[in-house]
Amino acid sequence: MTILNDLLERARSLLFRRRDERELAEELHTHAAMEAEHRRSRGTSAAEAHRQSILALGGVEPTKEAVRDARGTRLLDDSIGDVAYTLRTLGRSPGFAVVVILTLAIGIGGTTAVFSAVDHVLLQPLPYQSPGQLVRLYGASVQDPNGRGFLSPVHYKAYRTRLNSMDGVATILTYDEKGADIGSGNTVRRIRLLPTSSNYFDVIRVRPAVGQPYQPDAENGSGIEDNTDGGAVVVLSHQLWEDVFHGDPSAIGRTLVMNGRGYTVTGVMPDGFNDPVAGAIDAWVPLDLSQGNDPREAGNHYLSVIARLRPGVTIERAQAEVNSLAVELAREFPQQKDERARLYPLKDDIVGASSRSLEMMLGAVGLVLLLVCVNVANLMLVRGSERTREFAVRAALGAGGGRLVRQLLIESLTLALAGAVAGLIVARLAMSAMVALSAGNIPRLASLSLDPRLLLFALLVATASAVIFGLTPALRAARTQPGDALRDQSRGATSGRRSMRLREWLVVWQVALAFVLLVGASLLLASFRKIADVPLGVNAANVLTFELNLPSARYDSTARGRFYDEFDTRIETIPGVRAAGGISKLPATGPYHQWGAIPTTGPKAAEMQQRAVGAENRTVSGDYFRAAGIPLVAGRYFNASDDLSAPSRVVISADLAKAIFPGVDPIGQSLRTGGRAWEVIGVVGDVSVDNEGRTDFYIYHAHRQFAGDRNWSLTQVVSTTGSPTALEPAIRRELSQADPQLVMFRPMTLEAAIGRGAAQRVFTLKMLATFAVVALALAALGLFGVLSYGVKLRSREFGIRMALGADRPAIRRAVMANGLVVAGIGIAVGLAGAVALARTMASLMFHTSPLDPRVLGAAIVFMTIVAAVAAYIPAYRATAVDPRSALQ
Amino acid sequence: MADPRNELVQGTLEMLVLRTLALEPMHGWGIAHRIEQMSGAVFLVTQGSLYPALIRMKRRGWVRTSWRTTENNRRARYYELTAIGASQLDVERAAWQRASEAINGILSPRWALADL
Repeated sequence: MTILNDLLERARSLLFRRRDERELAEELHTHAAMEAEHRRSRGTSAAEAHRQSILALGGVEPTKEAVRDARGTRLLDDSIGDVAYTLRTLGRSPGFAVVVILTLAIGIGGTTAVFSAVDHVLLQPLPYQSPGQLVRLYGASVQDPNGRGFLSPVHYKAYRTRLNSMDGVATILTYDEKGADIGSGNTVRRIRLLPTSSNYFDVIRVRPAVGQPYQPDAENGSGIEDNTDGGAVVVLSHQLWEDVFHGDPSAIGRTLVMNGRGYTVTGVMPDGFNDPVAGAIDAWVPLDLSQGNDPREAGNHYLSVIARLRPGVTIERAQAEVNSLAVELAREFPQQKDERARLYPLKDDIVGASSRSLEMMLGAVGLVLLLVCVNVANLMLVRGSERTREFAVRAALGAGGGRLVRQLLIESLTLALAGAVAGLIVARLAMSAMVALSAGNIPRLASLSLDPRLLLFALLVATASAVIFGLTPALRAARTQPGDALRDQSRGATSGRRSMRLREWLVVWQVALAFVLLVGASLLLASFRKIADVPLGVNAANVLTFELNLPSARYDSTARGRFYDEFDTRIETIPGVRAAGGISKLPATGPYHQWGAIPTTGPKAAEMQQRAVGAENRTVSGDYFRAAGIPLVAGRYFNASDDLSAPSRVVISADLAKAIFPGVDPIGQSLRTGGRAWEVIGVVGDVSVDNEGRTDFYIYHAHRQFAGDRNWSLTQVVSTTGSPTALEPAIRRELSQADPQLVMFRPMTLEAAIGRGAAQRVFTLKMLATFAVVALALAALGLFGVLSYGVKLRSREFGIRMALGADRPAIRRAVMANGLVVAGIGIAVGLAGAVALARTMASLMFHTSPLDPRVLGAAIVFMTIVAAVAAYIPAYRATAVDPRSALQ
Repeated sequence: MADPRNELVQGTLEMLVLRTLALEPMHGWGIAHRIEQMSGAVFLVTQGSLYPALIRMKRRGWVRTSWRTTENNRRARYYELTAIGASQLDVERAAWQRASEAINGILSPRWALADL
């Protein structure tokens, strides 16, 4: 009851503070008047009675203070007063407030956004049970022990059964992205399939939410690829289950028709499950591992392998076991005696490539945040010294040092909170921008969202900045001797110059940090230019690509071979099409299907019997070489005569020809690869295996001679005279005439298809460029602010000097020199920083030295120009001062 | 020059105010004046101690206030004892009695009187 009353009273006095104050004043006044009246009535003179009553009652102001204390709302009261005062003073200099809030918003927003991305992509564990135990097992070799190659089914089976340190070794088929058509007619839809070993779900420890995974016997391959019914099974994603079966649990056991043949649904994966390696997958099907029992397949590398370490087993110990098993296998399969294997933590593997660019960004955002802190500190310092007189007056009027410190802290807190709110808006925008910029190429980034921990993070940053930035001028102000500042304004100038030195040092750091960011962004830009210019061995301009899958149910190998050739011929009749063909994997989009190749004729035939060279094998149809712009070096391209009735023929790349047939005409020579003998009929130009210009050996097979091997879904390549995408409708029409059930899947330009690998670099580049621009702007602002303030402090001095006859250009030069010296020191420090960072940056560079003198030189010139502009304006202003007004 | 009269005994102001208000509702000056009178002009109540005490007592619900007109036609805030305030006066009076008996006991011990 009493407590409730107490709270009500306190609330009431908060609400009616003004009225209370007024009434208290009236009450005290009445009291004094009554006292005086009383004394007068006893014969004292009016004046004396008044004096005595005041003496007897005590001072009015201290009483008011004591009453305010008693109200129990004192702290809140004062704070409200401080906030109101803050808003009033900030309202008088809105420019200052806006600059500080925007600066903080950039710092807090940028940091929050990038921190959330890094946290989301790098720091959060994989969404699987005990993700730390999951590893990738890659094929490597004696020559390249850290390689990241595919494994053969034979080696995979050996690792699966013979490794004791593993609690399951699973494999998936990622190199050959499988698509399947579901539905029919106009509703046909393309989905993504992931063929896996049957133990895959056990290894990642994610079981279907409904039903169960397929059984081990599904791996023996019966009925998976051929047209015979029986045994074909599928596990659906939650989404596909919803789409096709409307989430009906009775879907288990029912049939899903993919590529024209029925698969029995055995399970449905949990909602939101994303495949750790392959990403968004619609359905999982058993991978045919029967090849693993055939020793001849030991040189056929196409499997991605994921394993789970037994609890307590370190990756190093497991690697040791892998090493000794690899040596054993090398003895068992002499053709692959150089083959080894290498373990990597799955998480590093998934985020590895992007972690570098994200770390780089984290570094950049750290620099920007530092810059923001320095800038805000500078702004607060400038404002603090401008207000020295104000503080002095308030101190003289009885405000204690603590009171001033609190006032300034509240001021910076108000600014920081406003900055935090604005920062969250910036963060929200920045995150959408990052997701858009990354264009799906940074794993896990698409699911990025603002979460409450980040809100806390932003608020912490804001509060910390408020305390740090607010305290310096507040402490400075608290130490101010009121008399000093009031007595002589010129005394303020000397102390002003002392704080000037601190601010100049802050500007040096600003310039240095901005310089480092500028250099980093320029180097990435230079690298990116080089990547765009690196010759890939193909002509990517004006080329359209799209995937075309022929379902095995309706197309046997002969029909498939005929279809591709006929379709390519049809497309070539479309006006504007130069050449059309197909290939099992687009050039420059990464390694794909590697086989060992051995020359069986020529000078190296005997020597290389036991030592195959690895070569990328590609299956092509139609006019692929002309469509991709790969030049003929010798012999001929494939033509219609290269069919199943003809001897097996290959076209090889120029480097491979030199390596296995040195000194002889490669045309007419023979080689063995994939367990068969082939005759070389042509040599073509070398093609890059990735978009960084690394070439590899290539062996091309004619699809019509090779189609029976398996269902190659060929990516079509169409070179055009004009805009490639403009041809899409015409090609679609041709396709629907050829087979209305086929789908033109993922059409894009070859440039886009190849450029996709560079997307992370582009993303990093865009982000860094943004940071660099922001940093440059902040540094320029800082330099400008400090120089302007310096000029303002020295305006009297300039006035005197001009009145005494100093010429304006000389003063202008002096001010600019001051600014350029500060900027110069900053650039020197930044240069040292850039050199120190060179090694970290080297890994992100492409054919570019991190110490490229042209890049460093350009950055220096650019920075100097910005500094000169930032210095010129105050210099010009300094000399525009009328000497008389400065002296007054 | 310092006023020769004494400040109040620590912590007794609120009790005295309650006692004063137990007679009739009164304004601030009235309270101060009455305490001064009743103490035989020994105690002086300054504004600085009176008004914070009144605010505290109001917060605790011991008094309620209203603006009224004095006999001299001034507007003044009158303080009035509430039921809680009245029982608080009893509590404080009892406590004071116990304390002052104890203090008196110490200052003039009975055994000393017996010795005389």
